[in-house]
Amino acid sequence: MMLAVLGLILRASVVVTGAAVLTFVLLWFAPGDPAMAIAQARFATVVSADVVDQVRAEVGLDAGFWSAFKDWIGPLLVGDFGNSSVTGREVWPDMANAIGYTVPLALTGLAIGLAIAVPLAVLAARNQGSVLDRFAVGIASLGVAIPQFWLGLLLILLFAVQLGWLPAMGARSPTHIILPALTLGLGVAASLTRIIRSGLLEARGQGFLPAFRRRGINEAHVSRDHVAPHAAIPVVTVFGLELAFLLEGVVVVEVIFGRPGLGDFLVSAIFARDFPQVQAVVLLTALLFVVINLLIDIFYRVLDPRIGEHDA
Amino acid sequence: MRSVLVLAVCFIALAVFGPMFAPYDPTAINIPNRLSGPSAEFPLGTDALGRDILSRLLYGARWSLGLAFLISLIGLCIGTLVGLAAAQGGKLVDWIVMRTTDTFLAFPELVAAVVIAGLLGAGTGSLVFALSITSWMRYARVARGIGLSLKSRGYVVQAQLAGMSPLAVARWHFVPALVPSLIVVWTGMFARAILGISALGFLGFGVQPPMPEWGTMLLDARIHLRSTPLQMIWPGMAVATCVLAINLCGDALRDSLVERTS
Amino acid sequence: MLSVDRVSVNRGKTLALADISLSIEAGKTLAVVGESGAGKSTLIAAILGLLTPSKGSLTWSGAPVRSCRPALVMQEPRAAFNPALTLRRSVMEPLVARRANVPDDRLSRLCKGLELPTDLLDRKPGEVSIGQAQRVGILRALIDAPPLILFDEPLSALDAVTQKHTAKLIADLQAEEGFASLIVTHDLGYACAYSDDVAVLRRGRIEESGDSSAFVAAPCTDYGRTLRDAAIALGGLEIAA
Repeated sequence: MMLAVLGLILRASVVVTGAAVLTFVLLWFAPGDPAMAIAQARFATVVSADVVDQVRAEVGLDAGFWSAFKDWIGPLLVGDFGNSSVTGREVWPDMANAIGYTVPLALTGLAIGLAIAVPLAVLAARNQGSVLDRFAVGIASLGVAIPQFWLGLLLILLFAVQLGWLPAMGARSPTHIILPALTLGLGVAASLTRIIRSGLLEARGQGFLPAFRRRGINEAHVSRDHVAPHAAIPVVTVFGLELAFLLEGVVVVEVIFGRPGLGDFLVSAIFARDFPQVQAVVLLTALLFVVINLLIDIFYRVLDPRIGEHDA
Repeated sequence: MRSVLVLAVCFIALAVFGPMFAPYDPTAINIPNRLSGPSAEFPLGTDALGRDILSRLLYGARWSLGLAFLISLIGLCIGTLVGLAAAQGGKLVDWIVMRTTDTFLAFPELVAAVVIAGLLGAGTGSLVFALSITSWMRYARVARGIGLSLKSRGYVVQAQLAGMSPLAVARWHFVPALVPSLIVVWTGMFARAILGISALGFLGFGVQPPMPEWGTMLLDARIHLRSTPLQMIWPGMAVATCVLAINLCGDALRDSLVERTS
Repeated sequence: MLSVDRVSVNRGKTLALADISLSIEAGKTLAVVGESGAGKSTLIAAILGLLTPSKGSLTWSGAPVRSCRPALVMQEPRAAFNPALTLRRSVMEPLVARRANVPDDRLSRLCKGLELPTDLLDRKPGEVSIGQAQRVGILRALIDAPPLILFDEPLSALDAVTQKHTAKLIADLQAEEGFASLIVTHDLGYACAYSDDVAVLRRGRIEESGDSSAFVAAPCTDYGRTLRDAAIALGGLEIAA
């Protein structure tokens, strides 16, 4: 088992390395002159060619591919994300600051999503075919089809503009998190409901369960000891997928609600061609992803050692 | 299955023929009538430049649906080729291909697409590239899984013994077995592509004005949220309706596929 | 002539085949018998070129066996056919792959020899009986007139009556077409009744080999004797008086 886990860790490291290389390659070969964009972002005006050249040399864009790569990856391995091309400040503190806005939003959104999805899915699965079940499936299907940014705008329209109950833009006060979190949460709830419900239904359909029930074993015990572990696998898969959903949703939601989080950080960095910042965000999200999926894979092996027989 | 086909035909009809029903040129600027609400003249109102929203919505179908179709098709082709290569190629090829797929999968699709589209410069080309290159992986996994299980089937061995080229084996024996599962994946990806196109349009990457893509229309609408809130309802509803319809189709397809294999 | 010369095959850490040597001349039949796990399938795979031996050579008239395009009749008749294609399409596959043509009447002649109505070929594998499917499998093996045909437990999926019948059809066709055949089976009765020579495979090695009737009369090894006696007891084997 340990060997299998080590294999997974090795695999994950390869993937992370690949991701880092891919990120760097992408940015390096992006068209256009990044030096110009950086200079413009720095000085907020149109700049002369001399200034652009100066910026280019300063930021290291005139170096070759390999030396630039080495200069980037070296410090990265010890956790140094480099300095912003635009402000010259270290990337990490600004990024950490942005994360400080994003993480509470993501977690709150996830919490709202779970609070809605889990009870709804459990009730729906338990009463399969009933009106409640069909309602749940219907509304979840609808929820998954609605673009998050539209939902956000609708919520702003309703709660901020028409009713004036909640603030829309910025992140000044704790109440500013409500609408964005609700937007995220509703989207998460929709997709989680579908998946948890079908996971539970699938587990219930397992052949041995009716036999248990016939022997009079308590329904709750059956659920806990046999349905739950089997349902756990797809549910855990879902968490991995939901993470992606959350990360994507957060970017969009932050832009709509004007929150200074990671999404905003990323988008501004892209416009300004601030490579160190873009690379840092992309790599961080990739790393997070890979680590979480690694943990999930390890968790699967623990739950069901048969998994992994067809792995490369 | 029948409802799926009916729906598909409706979509295609909408994308191809919808614009014929558009009362106005979607890019015709008409400042005196700007930001007017729904009326007899402009059933859904006009936007900030006086363009008829209904017309823009109908033309927008071409962009949102048409591009989504293209993107999901590109992803399908790349992904299937990659997946089959991994299944056919022997252990080393399989490992390399799988690690590459994992590497691409390490980036959340939209985030990666935003970065790529943003760096390549706004525009339809970058949009298609960005969304295609972040979506092929799911097909690859499915194709590889099915390919691996098919490799040991008797008739595949017979075909190889008969001297069939790997390409011919793939075409005759692998692809037909892949089609049902790939179609199911494809419907899901088609829906994602619609959402992705509109999301990127909303963020300002992707399809550029004056092209009436639904996401870009929402971006315009956002600026005038307080003055003409209705403007933002229509494009969003269009996206949601299409995605919902496709998802329902996909679910029906998946159910019929499960029925057939069990 | 098929020549297997001191072939060894490694499967992971174990030696699936160890120092195997055998030969079959055109028109002759060799039966390879043994228990499950003895290495019979590995032997077939090696001869067909589906895996590479770690030692030794496999040749047909001096050239690698693959060059004579040997055919295979599989144990599970339906698995040999793509369920979505018609039988005709599958049968013609070897010819299509080689872009070859055969005389028009070959197909109908072989069908007659295998007692298959020609319209049967337009059906799909799931629409015919197992016995028919296996005969179509034999048809497919024969269509390109290979000099060597391997049979992997060709009768085990069939019922007793069909077994006898199919075995006879194969033998008749062999007399007509003149191919060399290697039959892998655990059924000693079938093996000895329908082969010229027999080889006993045990744990990857050939325990003994030689003329089939000689083997039945007097096996050389204890293991061979055990097999023969068991086969007689089960009633599948009769010693000529």
